[in-house]
Amino acid sequence: MSEEVILSAGIDVGTSTTQLIFSRMTIKNTAGFGKVPKTEIVSKDIFYRSKIYFTPFLSSEIIDGAKVHEIIKKEYETAGISPKDLSTGAVIITGETSRKKNAKQVLESLSDIAGDFVVATAGPDLESILAGKGAGAGEISKKSGKVVANLDIGGGTTNICYFKDGEVYDTACLDIGGRLVKIEDGRITYIADKVQDFINKYQIPVKIHERADVQHLELLTDKMAEILAQSVNLCKPTEDLVNFRTNRLITVNDPVEILTFSGGVASCMDQEYDVLQFGDIGVLLAKSIMKNRYFMEIKTAHAMETMRATVIGAGNYSMNISGSTIEYTQKDFPIKNLPIGKIRLENEADIEKIGTEMQKAIDYFRDDGEEVQIALAMKGLACPGFLQIQEIAANIMETYDTLFDKNIKLILILEADIGKALGQALKRINSKGRDIVCIDNISCNSGDYIDLGQPIANGSVIPVVVKTLVFQG
Amino acid sequence: MKDITEKEVSEVIYADNIAHIEELEKMKKATPARIGIGHTGARYKTEPMLRFLAAQAAAADAVFSEVKEDVVKDLGVFEVRTKCASKYEMLTRPDWGRIFEEDTQEYIKNHCIQNPDVQIYFGDGLCSPSIQANIPDLFPTIKLGLEDKGITVGTPFFVRYCRVNTARTIGPLLNAKVVCVLIGERPGLLTSESMSAYIAYHARPEMSESDYTVVSNISKHGIPPVEAAAHIVDLLDEILKKKKSGVALKTD
Repeated sequence: MSEEVILSAGIDVGTSTTQLIFSRMTIKNTAGFGKVPKTEIVSKDIFYRSKIYFTPFLSSEIIDGAKVHEIIKKEYETAGISPKDLSTGAVIITGETSRKKNAKQVLESLSDIAGDFVVATAGPDLESILAGKGAGAGEISKKSGKVVANLDIGGGTTNICYFKDGEVYDTACLDIGGRLVKIEDGRITYIADKVQDFINKYQIPVKIHERADVQHLELLTDKMAEILAQSVNLCKPTEDLVNFRTNRLITVNDPVEILTFSGGVASCMDQEYDVLQFGDIGVLLAKSIMKNRYFMEIKTAHAMETMRATVIGAGNYSMNISGSTIEYTQKDFPIKNLPIGKIRLENEADIEKIGTEMQKAIDYFRDDGEEVQIALAMKGLACPGFLQIQEIAANIMETYDTLFDKNIKLILILEADIGKALGQALKRINSKGRDIVCIDNISCNSGDYIDLGQPIANGSVIPVVVKTLVFQG
Repeated sequence: MKDITEKEVSEVIYADNIAHIEELEKMKKATPARIGIGHTGARYKTEPMLRFLAAQAAAADAVFSEVKEDVVKDLGVFEVRTKCASKYEMLTRPDWGRIFEEDTQEYIKNHCIQNPDVQIYFGDGLCSPSIQANIPDLFPTIKLGLEDKGITVGTPFFVRYCRVNTARTIGPLLNAKVVCVLIGERPGLLTSESMSAYIAYHARPEMSESDYTVVSNISKHGIPPVEAAAHIVDLLDEILKKKKSGVALKTD
């Protein structure tokens, strides 16, 4: 099979900046002669990077949606890309911006112009993962075999992602960033609530509407750097760390072996700027981190991207492709935002319990027995026999038929490479003629959401985006 | 006595004094090759050495052993053999391993349905254990899959002392549009039960080697038989539709 190139977009509307990238992904069957096909993404090439815009706001609580829309539209035009050219990608509203009143509407208005399969999503965990991958921390960990943590320090939040052997290991997010204190014409014009509490607690002489004193601001950023050090277990955690937590902190005990920094503040580490050049504490925070004794002791590596890590993560790392031996009768893709119900199917003994497992997973999503479209995920047996496949298929179909009307699709997401075999067996006993999608080589968990894209590579694989979290309103 | 082959080589580390055992474990997960087996002086340690010999013996056995009659009976198919009278002859006379005696051809013809879309049969080839290990999962899955697509499947049978090129005789004999031989492939030190499917559209004596489409490495260590079968079903469907196989299909 020849190569196929698909286009992907990444759009990030962050606390301080809004950015966009377009990339080309080359998809190819890499299996040798006489092998069952193995279609993979063989290269990712970013061919367009937008300018970096300040995210427009109407007030401190409302994003200027129309302006964001205009920025993105203009960048599409400059790049010569129309939404229908895109196969995949992600639009994300990140950091503090995601908590603004109209964040959801802005996101929805963007996914409308951004292409049919550009997913609209946000949430601190996913942001951390995308930033870490975009910064190259995942790659470094894969190559070195070390535990690598990326700190993506943006305007409003710091997204932390641990990688072990190239895989995401843990995530965390803190409300620490470069634009939590703003300065205009030498006066402090904005202090975020959590930072104000912190200032009060330690009686740091930084006060809204008063003149900004660099030395006093440094007292603040030095303390912030200390909390960042605590967040990756470089020193003992304090109550302050808990106070600055956005949603969760790092829970794994493995010490970090290599650190990478990305985000706007990280880009201030590489270059000399006037301390108040951007009208915020970003440059000072960068300096504080660099001179923090805990950060000085640990090995750091250069991130492949700093400023653009998140947007590149969104464009290049949000999508996976399914295994190449899959089965589907469904014609109408994409299918978006399917909640995942995970059922246990790992060995022979689990086969007879499929029915009850499915019932449990499905009941979780439906109140009063209403019909709900979910995707069922399972590990699957590594090398099942003919009869086992028939039995698995029969159990699944029987349960599904008793629970659901025929217009509800049967969507199965397997890890083990048995998608086609199981799919064919399901099709055989599909007496109600319901739509079936049975894909493999994708791992996901309960609580995740999944998007299935238009099949590519002559229909042999399906692009998949597993979303660790969707918008929390 | 301890069974040293109880655990796969890929699961055992024989080397001593490893500085970073997790790293070695990761490497061993990434390859089935015999790494981390240690050494004593310039030589292998005893157990890895014995395992080499055991794997080699298993490979040799796979080639030289016979498929038991019970195995064929359990598959519920009839058995024929090529012109070869013994395993030894099969290995030394490749030309006889691809042809049948006159009366054998008659027998096949009388016991099989004629003009199927796809004629599937099983051959021991260079690996007898592959029949028992794979056919019970592989064949029924292919058969059902083809029938679902409305493709007719010929009567299956087992060929002893079989080489791939028996297809050149079987194709015209049963007037099959497509012939699919499921045959044991040459064993190595990793697995001695792998099987390949050799598929040819309009198989005939004068066909070329490049007219075969191959799916190899079917075994529990390679492509699971049921998943390989599902792939073969679609491949056979494509071959029937496009009326070609082998390199011609690839370059399409």
